[in-house]
Amino acid sequence: MALRTYPITTTLGAGAGWRPQIDGALAQVAALCFIEVIAESIGAGALPEGVVAARERGLRVVPHGIGLSLGGAERPQRARLEHLASVAERVGAPLVSEHIAFVRADGREAGHLLPVPRTREALEMLCENVAIAQEALPVPLALEHVAALVQWPSAEMDEATFVRELIERTGALLLLDLSNLYANALNHGYDAREALERFPLERIAYVHVGGGVLRDGVYHDTHSHPVVPGVLHLVEELCAIADPPGVMLERDDDFPPASELIAELEAIATAVHRGGERRVRA
Amino acid sequence: MSVPDRSAYAERQAQLLDALLRGDDFPPGFVAARAEAAGSALRRKRGRAVAPAWPALALCLGDTFAARFDAFDRGAGATASGAPLPDGLAFARWLEAAGVALGDDVRVEILLGRAALRRHGVWMRLAFLREPYPRLLVVGRLPFAGQVQRSLRLAER
Repeated sequence: MALRTYPITTTLGAGAGWRPQIDGALAQVAALCFIEVIAESIGAGALPEGVVAARERGLRVVPHGIGLSLGGAERPQRARLEHLASVAERVGAPLVSEHIAFVRADGREAGHLLPVPRTREALEMLCENVAIAQEALPVPLALEHVAALVQWPSAEMDEATFVRELIERTGALLLLDLSNLYANALNHGYDAREALERFPLERIAYVHVGGGVLRDGVYHDTHSHPVVPGVLHLVEELCAIADPPGVMLERDDDFPPASELIAELEAIATAVHRGGERRVRA
Repeated sequence: MSVPDRSAYAERQAQLLDALLRGDDFPPGFVAARAEAAGSALRRKRGRAVAPAWPALALCLGDTFAARFDAFDRGAGATASGAPLPDGLAFARWLEAAGVALGDDVRVEILLGRAALRRHGVWMRLAFLREPYPRLLVVGRLPFAGQVQRSLRLAER
């Protein structure tokens, strides 16, 4: 039932999640090609100065939604879709992204991305919600799988299969989050590298890389800690078997000094490069 | 494929959200230890969203902020909005009710928060403050004018 299958024509390159707190640091990174902005943090009025400046430097801007609740039982809200569409238009976005998650239930906000059950029924509702969103958006939609400490019982398929089915059925693009994959694999005891290959890598719009921390034997995908070596390893492994159009760093809290942020961006670029070399040689 | 039952799904999601916030009574089939870790991560995340919107409160609580917010969210979370301003207000009032001394800066922050959350009508509150000098603070919300505040110094230093 693929409604529309978007071709991947946009090469994004190296990117970073734009936050007002790291605007100054990101402005120093000449190699940066795109930024991702949280759509809900952009008001109805003027765009933040840093985002305008980034556009003037020639950076692409990708709005990243966190409030559509595409995995929710309710259909996506009209006003939220209109806002996301308006942000996409105002920043001249090549695409927008959202999550395979629910963020509210029974009219109450979770304040966080919560996982959906990996069942046929949930997939059906997700496909419907995604189709409604695609209809309302002026640009292609990429979907991101989330990190989840809690899993619904009676899963009918694993995450890679669930995401592949969703992407195939909706024609949406994939926002592959390697930190989420790393976290889920570690916390739920499976092999991230093996699972990676079964994601629809040919549909990647771009890739998220974020930091986290191991606390009491549980890996927390916090985005407020440095990127761990295991995630950088996955970046290399991915780039050894695929050529993702963009790879970006996500840092949301406990912002480090500019030098650390730049070093993290360089470490990601190195991993992308190493993987690319292996792919070309193979 | 049969038509999915959205209302039953909504109920299951609401049950999970409630259980995550309360930290107990997880629906059958969930691994309790993992669900508890997920609940505590969720409450921590909600607290971290509240803190920057309530700087005086965060400063006043210092290192105890996270633990206190966790205790608040376990009890009140199911009715909280997930938005920093109203959740911070509910948290501050919960602390007041529990007898936690919050100080003048937090009192002002609470008044400003209450005014900001008013959407219509006339609303006005008065507070006597000692720091940094004795003064009377009037905070309100008026039609057309929106949020207003006036500070009246009561004595010279």
